[in-house]
Amino acid sequence: MIRIGGEAWQVMRAHAEAIFPNECCGAMLGRNDGETKHVTVALPLENVHAGPRVTRYELRPEDLLRAEKEARGRGMDLIGIFHSHPNHDAYFSETDLKNSCPWYSFVVLSVKDGQFDHAKSFLPNMEQTEAPEEALDLPG
Amino acid sequence: MPKVMIPTPLRQYTDKKDSVEVAGATVGEILGALTATYPDLKKNLYNDEGKLRSFVNVYVNDEDIRYLGKDKAQVAATDTVTIVPSIAGGR
Repeated sequence: MIRIGGEAWQVMRAHAEAIFPNECCGAMLGRNDGETKHVTVALPLENVHAGPRVTRYELRPEDLLRAEKEARGRGMDLIGIFHSHPNHDAYFSETDLKNSCPWYSFVVLSVKDGQFDHAKSFLPNMEQTEAPEEALDLPG
Repeated sequence: MPKVMIPTPLRQYTDKKDSVEVAGATVGEILGALTATYPDLKKNLYNDEGKLRSFVNVYVNDEDIRYLGKDKAQVAATDTVTIVPSIAGGR
């Protein structure tokens, strides 16, 4: 299960709404106690996809490197990645799957007409062929 | 010896170490030695054809090895090798 703390969630949601109608993306930092991943810090990152960002996102590897360093500096781990689906539901698309990494949780936020609607978390496999849903615990 | 930084989710395969010192003069030698010491790491980094998986990026200090000669990228004893995933997506 992945549990997102209040402060981190506020950052993720606000970022997804601010970047609408484009897709947002970012990193989630925290700790994994073996049973539950506790996200306490969310880092909005730039969507560097070269084409239309309404339907695609891409993280700059250097930004992920920076997020990993920041996590280490704070005594935390890089636990997952978040991105938004503007005006679409929170599912793990074929594009998401083919460009995923099995090492992390992937939280997808659905933003409709500029307002957060719902979110889900997914765990892609090594071969990038499936991504089962992971239990997601949000504040409030 | 060069130091390899291990991303959090892969530390379960490196006896929980967040960095490992590995002998070698190129990225290929270093990753080869690393996966020989920690065989469970291999399937996370390489596909069945022995190529780095599409989501794996490797950096020497702050330089992507794709611009340094890939597996043949030179690594000095004081360098740091970092494994960073490549991530994108969209609906």
